Amino acid sequence: MNWILPEGASLGFEGLAAPLQIIRGLGGGTQGQVYEVDLQGERLALKWYLPACIARDGGLERRLEASIRATAPNEDFLWPIALLRASPASRPLIRLRQESFGYLMPLRPPAYVGACEHAAGRLAIGLRQVLRACFGLADAFHALHLAGLCYKDVSLGNLFLEPGSGGILICDNDNVAVDGADHGAVLGTPGFMAPEVLLGQARPGADSDLFSLAVLLFRLLTRHDPLKGQMELAIRCLDEPARRRLCGEDPVFIFDPLDDRNRPDPIEHAAALITWPIYPRPLQALFEQTFCRGMKQPSRRALTGQWKQELARTLDRRALCPACGQENFQASGAPALCWSCGAPLPEPITLLLARGAVLAAPDNELHPHHFDALAGEDLRRPLARVVAHPQDHRRLGLRNLSSAAWSAETHDGRVQPVQPGESCSLAALARIQSPSGPIAVQRPTRPSPAA
Amino acid sequence: MPFPDVKLANRPLHFLYLCDCSGSMAASGKMQALNQAIRQSLPGMAAVARDNPEARVLVRAVRFADHAAWHIETPTPVDQLEWRDLQAGGITAMGEALKLVAAALQTPPMEVRALPPVLVLISDGQPTDDFAAGLEALLRVPWAQKAVRLAIALGHDADLEVLQRFIGSEPATAGRSPRRPLQASNATSLAQYIQWASTAVVGAASMPASRVSETPLEPAAGNIPLPDLPPTVLDPTDDVGPLVW
Ligand SMILES: Nc1ncnc2c1ncn2[C@@H]1O[C@H](COP(=O)(O)OP(=O)(O)O)[C@@H](O)[C@H]1O
Ligand SMILES: [Mg+2]
Repeated sequence: MNWILPEGASLGFEGLAAPLQIIRGLGGGTQGQVYEVDLQGERLALKWYLPACIARDGGLERRLEASIRATAPNEDFLWPIALLRASPASRPLIRLRQESFGYLMPLRPPAYVGACEHAAGRLAIGLRQVLRACFGLADAFHALHLAGLCYKDVSLGNLFLEPGSGGILICDNDNVAVDGADHGAVLGTPGFMAPEVLLGQARPGADSDLFSLAVLLFRLLTRHDPLKGQMELAIRCLDEPARRRLCGEDPVFIFDPLDDRNRPDPIEHAAALITWPIYPRPLQALFEQTFCRGMKQPSRRALTGQWKQELARTLDRRALCPACGQENFQASGAPALCWSCGAPLPEPITLLLARGAVLAAPDNELHPHHFDALAGEDLRRPLARVVAHPQDHRRLGLRNLSSAAWSAETHDGRVQPVQPGESCSLAALARIQSPSGPIAVQRPTRPSPAA
Repeated sequence: MPFPDVKLANRPLHFLYLCDCSGSMAASGKMQALNQAIRQSLPGMAAVARDNPEARVLVRAVRFADHAAWHIETPTPVDQLEWRDLQAGGITAMGEALKLVAAALQTPPMEVRALPPVLVLISDGQPTDDFAAGLEALLRVPWAQKAVRLAIALGHDADLEVLQRFIGSEPATAGRSPRRPLQASNATSLAQYIQWASTAVVGAASMPASRVSETPLEPAAGNIPLPDLPPTVLDPTDDVGPLVW
C-alpha cells in the first residue's frame, strides 16, 4: 500500500492543540485511507480522503461538520469526532499534490471483525449472537432515523461484529445526512440498494435505508441473499446489467409467498433453505413485508421499531434442544421439532412478565422492556439472566443482575431473598417479586392421566 | 451453539495475466520489474478475495514470446498461488496468446455461471504475429466479450493502438474519459497498475462497491464500472524511480 500519510510521523492539524502521531495504516478503500493514530495517549482512527473523492462529493465537508455537531445517535457508530486539515508546517509531509482533509473517529477494537467474515462462514458465532447483532443493527438505525438522519450506504462492508457478544460497530458514517436533504454523492452498494434507487427513480433516504437494512439482516440471519434464487441461476455472467435486472427491474424475494419464480435452488442456495425455517413466523413476516409489498412501495417496508420488537421477541423464545444442544426459537404452545436434529422439543419453563414471556434457557435475559410499557426494547442493561447450575446443567436458575434484592416464592409459600449477583433455582419457584415487577414461573402442563 | 454450517453461494472469478516475454523485456530490468510487481501484488489480491465471499478468485497466466504458452495453466486460488519468474527472450506472439485465452474461455472448460473474467495484457512492444486474427478469435467467445479487459503499456515502444483494440473502444460517458491503455513508464507505476488491477478491479468485478451518483447506473456504463485509478501518491523514497523505460 502506498500510504498518503507518513507512518510514524507526528503531524500538526489546524484546530488541534496537540500533534497527532500516525501509528500505522489500517486499510484503504475507494474513498480514502484509514490510519491508527495517537492523540496525547489516546488511540483513534483517522480517515484521510483521496482528492478524487473530495472532488466528486461537494457536500462531504459540510455533511461531516453537521455530523460532528450532531454527535453519534448511539455508541455503535464509529462517528466522526473532528474534521482535520493539515497545518501549514505539516502539509509538505502529506504525499499528495492536491489539498485534502480527513476526520477522526473512534478506533475499532481488535475483537470486532468485518461482517463479511460471518457471510463467508469463517466466524465461530452462535445464533444468539447473530440475533443480538441484528437487534443492535436495528437499534442503531432506529436511533439514527429518529434523529431525522439517514445512512444511505448500508452494506456488509460497513459493519463489524464481535462474535463473542454479538456486539456491532458501524463505520463509514460520512454519507449520513438529514433525510430528504439531498446533498450527497453516494447511492448505495448494489445488492443492498433499494430498487427505486438502483433504477435512478429516487435518491437514497430513510425509506431506502429500511430496504438495505432488511437485506443486511437477511444476510446475517441466513448467510444468503434475499434476491438470489432460480432467477440468479438463470444468469450466466453476473455483471452490472444482470444485477440491475435481478435487483432493480424485476426483483423477486426468494420466499415470496405469492410469486415462486425465484425460489432457492436446493443445492446452490442450500444456506437459505436450511436457515430460513429456524426463525419464527412473525420475524419471517417482516422480511415478506419489506421484500414483497415493500419492494415497490417504500412506505410499506418494516420499520426499525418493528425489527427491534420482533428480534427481541425471537431472543425471548430461544430454547436449547435437549438432544443436540442446538438453539431453537419456539413458538408458544405449539409442539415443535428441533430444526437441526429433528428431535421433539419439550415444553419449556416460561417466565411470564408484565410485557412478554421469556423461555428459560441458559443466557436468555430479562430486560426493563419486559416490565415497563414505556421502555423501548434495549438489550444493554439486563435485569436477570437464566443460568445453568454449575454441577447439573439441566437445573436452571435465574441470576439477579439488578442492584436490588428480589423475593422468591416457592410453591409451598416459603419466601426467600435473592441478593444482587445471586441465583435462585427455578425448579421450586412459583413467582419472584422484583422491584421492576413480578416474574411468574410457568412450568409445562404435563399430560395428566385420564380421569 | 454454532451458527448452521452453511456457506454463501459463490461464483468463480477468472483472472488472467497475458505477459509479454519478448527479448525487449530483458532490457532495463523490465522483466524483473513485472515479476516483482505481480509477486508483490498477491497478498493484496488475496485480501480482496477474502473480503468477497461471493467470488472464488482463480488466477492463470499466459506468457508469449516466440510462441504463447501457459505459465500458470490451472485456475489457481490466489492464496495458493506461487509466482515463478518469467524469462524474456524471443519475438512477440501476442495473437497466439489471445487464441490460447480464447480457447480457455470456451464453455467448457469455463463454468456455465461465473463473474465477469478479468484479462490483463502487459506488453512493451508490437505483436510480430497475426494480432488481428487472435483478437477476432478472442472476441467471438462470449466470456471474452463479457470480460473486463485491461492493458498495461510498458515504456514508450509499446503499441498503444493494438492495446486499445484489445480493451475495446468505449465512448466517453458523462464525467469519465474513455478507457485507455495504462502507460507505465517506470517500475513504480507498473507496480501501482498491477496492484490496482488485482485488487480494485477484482473487487469491482466480484462484489459491487458503493456507488456515487457520478458513476452512471445505466447499462451503458459497461458491464463492470471500473474503480478510480490509484492516486498519484508522491513517493519520497522514489522520486525518480529506479528505472525509466
Ligand atoms: N474506525 C476504524 N477503526 C479501524 N479500522 C477502520 C476504521 N474505519 C475503517 N477502518 C478500516 O479501514 C479500511 C478502509 O475503510 P473504509 O472507510 O471502509 O474505506 P472506503 O470507504 O474508502 O472503502 C477498512 O479495512 C476498514 O476496516
Ligand atoms: Mg467503505
